[in-house]
Amino acid sequence: MALRPSRQTLIAVGTMLAGAVVIVLLPLVLSDTNEYRFAFVGAFFIAALGLQILTGYTGQISLGHGGFMMIGAYTTTILSVDHGWDDLATIPFGGMIAGVVGFLFGFPALRLRGAYLALATFAIPLALISIAKKYSDFTGGGGGKSLTRVLTGHEAYTITWPIAGVLLLVAWFLLRGRLGRAFRTVRESEIAAVSSGVNLTLTKTLAFGISAFYAGIAGSLYAITIGFVNPDTFQIDLSILLLTGIVVGGLGSLVGVVFGALFIEYVRLYASDILDKVQSPFGVGLDPRTAGAGAVVYGVILLLILYVAPTGVAGLIQTAFRTFTRRPYTSESTEPPGQVVPTRREA
Amino acid sequence: MRKRFGVLVAAFLAAGAACVTALGGAQADPGITQRTIVLGGTFPLTGIASSYAPIPVGMKVYFSYINARRAAADKKRGIGGRQVIWKYYDDGYNPANTAQQTRKLVEEDKVFALFAGLGTEPQQSVVNYLNQRKVPQLFVSTGATEFGANYKQNPYTMGWQPDYLAEGTIYGKYAAQNWPTKKIAVIYQNDDYGKNYLQGLKAGLGSKASNIITEQGFDVTATSVAQQVAAVRQSGADVMCIFATPAKTIAVYGTMKALRYRPEEVILNSVSATESTLKLALANADAGTIDGSISVTYTKDPASPVYANDASVKLYKQLMAKYAPGADLNNGYYYYGVAKAYDVVKLIQAAGKNPTRASLLKAAQNINWVNPFLLPGVKERTTGADRYPISQVKLIRFNDGVWTEFGSLIEGRGT
Repeated sequence: MALRPSRQTLIAVGTMLAGAVVIVLLPLVLSDTNEYRFAFVGAFFIAALGLQILTGYTGQISLGHGGFMMIGAYTTTILSVDHGWDDLATIPFGGMIAGVVGFLFGFPALRLRGAYLALATFAIPLALISIAKKYSDFTGGGGGKSLTRVLTGHEAYTITWPIAGVLLLVAWFLLRGRLGRAFRTVRESEIAAVSSGVNLTLTKTLAFGISAFYAGIAGSLYAITIGFVNPDTFQIDLSILLLTGIVVGGLGSLVGVVFGALFIEYVRLYASDILDKVQSPFGVGLDPRTAGAGAVVYGVILLLILYVAPTGVAGLIQTAFRTFTRRPYTSESTEPPGQVVPTRREA
Repeated sequence: MRKRFGVLVAAFLAAGAACVTALGGAQADPGITQRTIVLGGTFPLTGIASSYAPIPVGMKVYFSYINARRAAADKKRGIGGRQVIWKYYDDGYNPANTAQQTRKLVEEDKVFALFAGLGTEPQQSVVNYLNQRKVPQLFVSTGATEFGANYKQNPYTMGWQPDYLAEGTIYGKYAAQNWPTKKIAVIYQNDDYGKNYLQGLKAGLGSKASNIITEQGFDVTATSVAQQVAAVRQSGADVMCIFATPAKTIAVYGTMKALRYRPEEVILNSVSATESTLKLALANADAGTIDGSISVTYTKDPASPVYANDASVKLYKQLMAKYAPGADLNNGYYYYGVAKAYDVVKLIQAAGKNPTRASLLKAAQNINWVNPFLLPGVKERTTGADRYPISQVKLIRFNDGVWTEFGSLIEGRGT
């Protein structure tokens, strides 16, 4: 007799199915430009998914994922431009090379925690940008390289989102199993993890490796979508944006990453447009193109989101969901008093 | 079932094809009506290159003026009665953003053409896309040689200002002529930009190229240029060439002062030869180190007393006061924007009574006029095989806080 799936599993499967339907149907209503933007959302989604595995589930902070994206992007560009590979065939290699680098980076990172780890990971994109500029014969230097193929928005969308869907599913299965439990134990308490027989070294480095693999795939897709790669494409803020994305989406929630990715793409790039639309009803006449106006709007929106939803969008949805599905006349918590209620629930 | 689906698809395709053919014949290009013409561009309004942000503002000022005044020829406002709608977006000098903002301009704002997009790499990132879509990408704001050289591959793309290679050649020719026996040292940024200049310098020196006794490259990301400046000082060169971006130029001057090194002559590339850069350099070094530096220019200098009574500089100041009150009139990038917008208007006028993208492109290959915002005597000219509109420059020398022109116009074309 098969085990009955838990309510949580059913919700997760239902959410993912609904998401899949939305992704399939979206191109029917989106313009080509919007599909193009959604291809970027897809790439950010994959990278943030990787970061979520590392930061949200394993508790290891990283400000270096822009760097891992860069490895994927350069792998794709160099293989397809200089070695004549089909650009789609390069995507797994972009992921794998970034994954290996991430795995190896996991070893020195073992000794570091919290802010120190964040600073160490911050060195990854910084170093890679310099390396890309230095070895210009190989990377194209500061001038970068153009890919041969120019994608329409629809093409970019149809390449990115199926890959994103598969990677989401892989992450979900991975995190449900033994490895996911090990990740979460490391996050909650390393001492407890070790005493329960979790191999700390392997678990942390593996988390780094898997996470970087995701970022590498995202980088490959990013390069294919833009059709051009140079060090400026991976300015240092990209890594910070990815971290912001998973916090906005909700730490420890896979589905929340979608909101994080939407935030990274839209709020950052179109902050000044948002200002333009928001201020007119109030009769304010600020020039949205004033230097820094976009950054201020971005900051205000970020603060608002964190104020309204301190546990991210996923947390907000979960709270709303519970409010509406709670049976009347029952206490909010069914757990006996004194028991710790998990604060972070997996999607 | 499958068969029926196939039939359905075929029917749809046939219907679609019929529609396309029916529409294709009389369709006008996007972005242009009898009353308006939509133009666009991407610029770094924020981030590492945001010092260029005044350029699109300068262009906006000039377009506002064109939209308001009545032309002498046809007594109409705008360009032939069409109001210019100028749309520009921030790309933060990041090609990922340039790609998206450019598609937004082309596909959502439906611009007629893109003008003045800024930055070698950001503009490079959309060359393929724009040429595939057959959208003109004209007067890009970069001096990289490739935007004029690759016209066979990318016919919709064209630059504006003198390219770096030509500028380097001019320095080489000047040195060969005036300092035939002086030893030359070069400090250059070790990338396409710096190497373009160095290559030009050697070409201009010709048989005197052996006068270069040392070439010191520094990496874009290097934090110090002390090693390079020290090596130049050691070499005992009489002439030093600096081919660097503004920040590194300031560092070079600062190091020269620290090492008490004063070569007889200093050549500085035009990108860094702006008022604002040298003001900062003066704060880092001293007048004794910087005075006498030589560079080139192709526009009038709104800060120079020489042009205080010049009609076009006066018009510039008047328009800025009206449409961009409070802006720093001496900031050369506003002036650059106004000068470029003049050519945009002129080019659209040259594209005929009812411009199309094709006629605009044709006009861009037949430029032959004088822009009053450029130096007196500069003639802009292009042909099918020559896509560098501005190629004449004048030498300038820095003294007592201002650049002063000297010598006659120099032709950089054909070098």
